[in-house]
Amino acid sequence: MLDVSDLVTAYGKIEALKGVSLHVESEKITCLLGPNGAGKTTLMMTIAGILQPRRGSIRLGGTELVGLSPARIVARGVALVPENRLVFPQMSVLENLLAGAYQRSDKAEINVDVERMYTRFPHLRERHQQLAGTLSGGEQQMLAVARALMSRPRVLLMDEPSLGLAPLVVAEIFSIISELNRDGTTIFLVEQNAHMALQVAHQFFLMEQGRITFKGTPGQLAEDEVIQRAYLGTRRTAG
Amino acid sequence: MVDFFQNTIDGVMIGSSYGLLALGFTVIFGVMRRLNLSYGPSIMIGGYLGTVLYLNHGAGPLVVAGAVVLGAAIAGVYVERLCFAPMKAGAGIASMVSSFAIWMQLEQAAILVLPRHTYPFPPLATGATLEFGPFFVRIDHLIMLVCALGLAAAVQVTLYRTRFGLALRAIIGHPVAAHLVGINVRRAMLLAFAAASAIGGVAGFLVLAVDQQVTPMFGMWATLKGLIAMMIGGLGSVPGAVVGGLLLGVIETHSQWYFGPQFRDLIAYVVLFAFLVARPGGLFGRAPSPDITTPQKA
Amino acid sequence: MDDYLIGVLSNIGVISFIALSAYLLLLTGEISFGQQAFFAIGAYAAGIATALWGWPLALALVWGAAIGGAAAVLVGIPTLRLHGLYFAIATLAFAEMVRILFELFRYQITIDGELVGPDGADGFRNIRYIFDNNIDAFQFLLLIYALLAVVLLGFVLLERSRLGVIFRMIGEDETLAGLQGVSIAHHKVLAAGISGALAGIGGGLYAHLTTYVEPRIFDVMLGVHSLAYGLIGGLGTALGPLLGVLIDIGVLESIRALSGYRMIIFGGLVALLLIVRPRGLLDENVVHKIGRFWRRISPWARRPGLNTGNRNNLTGGRP
Repeated sequence: MLDVSDLVTAYGKIEALKGVSLHVESEKITCLLGPNGAGKTTLMMTIAGILQPRRGSIRLGGTELVGLSPARIVARGVALVPENRLVFPQMSVLENLLAGAYQRSDKAEINVDVERMYTRFPHLRERHQQLAGTLSGGEQQMLAVARALMSRPRVLLMDEPSLGLAPLVVAEIFSIISELNRDGTTIFLVEQNAHMALQVAHQFFLMEQGRITFKGTPGQLAEDEVIQRAYLGTRRTAG
Repeated sequence: MVDFFQNTIDGVMIGSSYGLLALGFTVIFGVMRRLNLSYGPSIMIGGYLGTVLYLNHGAGPLVVAGAVVLGAAIAGVYVERLCFAPMKAGAGIASMVSSFAIWMQLEQAAILVLPRHTYPFPPLATGATLEFGPFFVRIDHLIMLVCALGLAAAVQVTLYRTRFGLALRAIIGHPVAAHLVGINVRRAMLLAFAAASAIGGVAGFLVLAVDQQVTPMFGMWATLKGLIAMMIGGLGSVPGAVVGGLLLGVIETHSQWYFGPQFRDLIAYVVLFAFLVARPGGLFGRAPSPDITTPQKA
Repeated sequence: MDDYLIGVLSNIGVISFIALSAYLLLLTGEISFGQQAFFAIGAYAAGIATALWGWPLALALVWGAAIGGAAAVLVGIPTLRLHGLYFAIATLAFAEMVRILFELFRYQITIDGELVGPDGADGFRNIRYIFDNNIDAFQFLLLIYALLAVVLLGFVLLERSRLGVIFRMIGEDETLAGLQGVSIAHHKVLAAGISGALAGIGGGLYAHLTTYVEPRIFDVMLGVHSLAYGLIGGLGTALGPLLGVLIDIGVLESIRALSGYRMIIFGGLVALLLIVRPRGLLDENVVHKIGRFWRRISPWARRPGLNTGNRNNLTGGRP
């Protein structure tokens, strides 16, 4: 579904992505692991069109996304739940959702989708008039996910959704990720929490210093000794 | 006592023009988080366009008003394209200095077109006044007040009731996130800039029609008055802009009445300074966010 | 040298002081629209000292600098916690207050049957020290540039000192600097004081150069210009603001053929320049590269010292 090939993105002279290629399969959860500073967020921002790559291509079902504005990319069906959530703090929960549907003009359908989000995330219904900035971290993450879904994306990109959240909330987020995927959403997930990711993802990539250094299934990932040591630590029963 | 109330009325009337100027400023600053020093000079360019039409073609007040608003909006777009759109995140101070450079440019352009120091500007309602018991209100002042309140309401409704307003508030909240939900941020910013300059144009037309003259110095005057009223009212607040303007007008009229013309501006600046030190958020604003135009912050 | 050239160079030198004063504050991360206040205070203080009290010029300049610095400290304390636009407008408000107060300020005494001293909005005439003491224009030019050289030497030393690092650190990230144990308040007031004193010296020199000052010279235009010089010339070195002044007054004001179009050309050029170089011509990267080049070719250069460059890499960082 989403094909990234030989992508190079640089900040001035420093190349954060040094020729990244990967494939996100339709209706699966694909997870990108990697340490801090590996270039994971840069990759997400490049796919979303916020950053311009120096070269390479990003294709969504055959359409080239490189060179399109972020707004066009959203219209093509890619939505990013950014790192640190970035909800609109001075807008109500409902307004955040409506902003998520900014590219759409089907008013009746938008209202149906808002209702769907409220059903999936009951907390948001309770707080629909509240300003997003006053929500808890977990609620903001739910809102960020719901906001992204409001554009009816073909691929949902999620940049470290578990960042800074309490373990229980992380578990909730991951169960929502599985649920969304069961309903047919293609998900491309960036994570540092490899234990949680192992439980939901179908396909893994490992990124180190701007390059993809591993590709495989959860089984292969768990077997790889180097990855075991670096990212999974001594095996514990993950929460 | 009659004097006191008459002064207050006059202050509110004059202040409504400050409020209008602050309104445009507030929209630009709210959306961009950057200071457009060329705001006043853009309005001045509109004023010159209006005067040229008036002097050379005998245009009536409505045509002149349209020309001022259009001229201000066009000059505003020019400033946005040159000083704001190309600047990267974190270059807020470069935008500000750049808009100052364009201020100099616009001022000289006006002088090239009309080299004398002042030119006549058509009045709106010459000296006509309404009487309310012992009090007088000039009709052109009253139009100014109505326009200020009406436009403030229109801005507020646009911000909170329309799709465009939703986009602007999303940009104000988080420019990157606004991109991510599919808002065309650059276009929305350009539109907001043009609209804000047009609002300034309305203010400019009304003030010039009351003064019945235009000079290149009008640009500096408009930037300063708009800026002061905006800061007193509170950065980024639409009601704050109007109330800040009215308050500035009232303070000025009373100061002038009791202490003389030189103290009018002095006391206005003292109040501004006191506000900034004691309550930086102004009347309606929130606590200041530290990195608004600090040069180094990304 | 002909008189015209001396005049232009003197102007450039004097304005450089106020540009440097705004630049110093920019280093600590603050935008000031109000350095003209301290320039004005220095001008009046030094002018009064020589013309009314009969002080020697040197002492008058020191006095002007001291009063300018003291005033800046007095403004610096209440505005400590203001940043960005708030600080800029507070300094603007203060400067306008000062300008209006000078319009109201009358202090005249009779000297040799003539009234001398500040006369409100009509200004302060006959600051005749350099005529009375037979200092010619060229000698005064040398004095201006000697003082400017001293100030620049001070900036060079500052950039290499702990204090300079602290100033840039505060400019970079005040909170972070605070966490490193830097006393923010102390250093910001210090920076304000030094910058006020710099503007004060410039004002003192200006008053004696022109022999006449009036309040309306010290308006917002002067303040914004002095701020702009640093940004045009570059924020990487103290030579940046000087370059800015040189470009504006030196090149453009001197080319008479451009009069009438000067600001149209200059304004457009500055706007375009800032798109390409948002931190000016001599920004930190350029200064860093020149420094490296110099160390490579110069046999007696010191080993790489404190690195003041590389800021652009930080501000261009990931979103």
